Amino acid sequence: MAGISTHVLDTDRGRPAAGVKIELSVREGDTWRMVKTMTTNADGRTDGPVVAAADARVGEYQLEFHTDAYFKGLPDAGGEEPFVDNAVVRFSIFDVKQHYHVPLLCTPGSCTTYRGS
Amino acid sequence: MDRHALTRRSLVGAGLGGAVMAGTAPGALAQTSPAPGAPPKPGTLTTAPSSQMGLSPRLTMHAIDNFHGTPGAGMVCDLSIREGDTYRLIKTVTTAPTGRTAEPLLVDDAFKAGRYELLMHFEAYFRALDVKLPTPNFLGLVPVRFVIRDVGQRHHLPILFSPWGYSYYRGS
Repeated sequence: MAGISTHVLDTDRGRPAAGVKIELSVREGDTWRMVKTMTTNADGRTDGPVVAAADARVGEYQLEFHTDAYFKGLPDAGGEEPFVDNAVVRFSIFDVKQHYHVPLLCTPGSCTTYRGS
Repeated sequence: MDRHALTRRSLVGAGLGGAVMAGTAPGALAQTSPAPGAPPKPGTLTTAPSSQMGLSPRLTMHAIDNFHGTPGAGMVCDLSIREGDTYRLIKTVTTAPTGRTAEPLLVDDAFKAGRYELLMHFEAYFRALDVKLPTPNFLGLVPVRFVIRDVGQRHHLPILFSPWGYSYYRGS
């Protein structure tokens, strides 16, 4: 399998972050072109691939995770304003034959991302 | 040196041994004086953690290289503030051998509420240390975005990073 996938985890609550809006953009010269918007399902993943194997190209990609709206919209939200602005993760596909799993672990005060599998 | 001491020292070097400096007098920012010039070779650990308790409101950062287990010295970072739909560059800084900046990122009149981005030059950092990376690297220019709402509070921004991932959080 190749392409891009993601997984959003709410490590504040210890569960998948469902309903997080994600915007995928690709770099074109000096600008980022928005390609599509997705929303995480109950498992914190997207229903389809973020980028399918057939569509993967060498280049720079950006995932903007709307964690701000997610944390504010939780039924048990405490009214605290998040420190992390919408987390934006930029990374490159350097080999289209490889798969790029890019998870986001988030709390209102922190975020972590890495190349997963 | 026994293995446990080495482990402890590694933790301290990574800024995770905060209690060590708990006795630092308020107002005194204890840190080894940053020597200008080239970043230290990976593996050199010459810094101790510092407490910022008692300091005035400000924004500070700390880059920690989890790949080498050292402070992230010589990391170029562009600090910008959001204005409308774009980010306006405030300044470009390079981290000292401590992984911190010589001066606070923002302090006094410059410390304003807003949405900020610290664009960190990961790829250049690791290439300067001769780390073998793909081209383009998985992480090149990394945007670290955060919000400052209350300028009456001190804000510390630690970033733990490797060529394959990073974490950042509101520290202390």
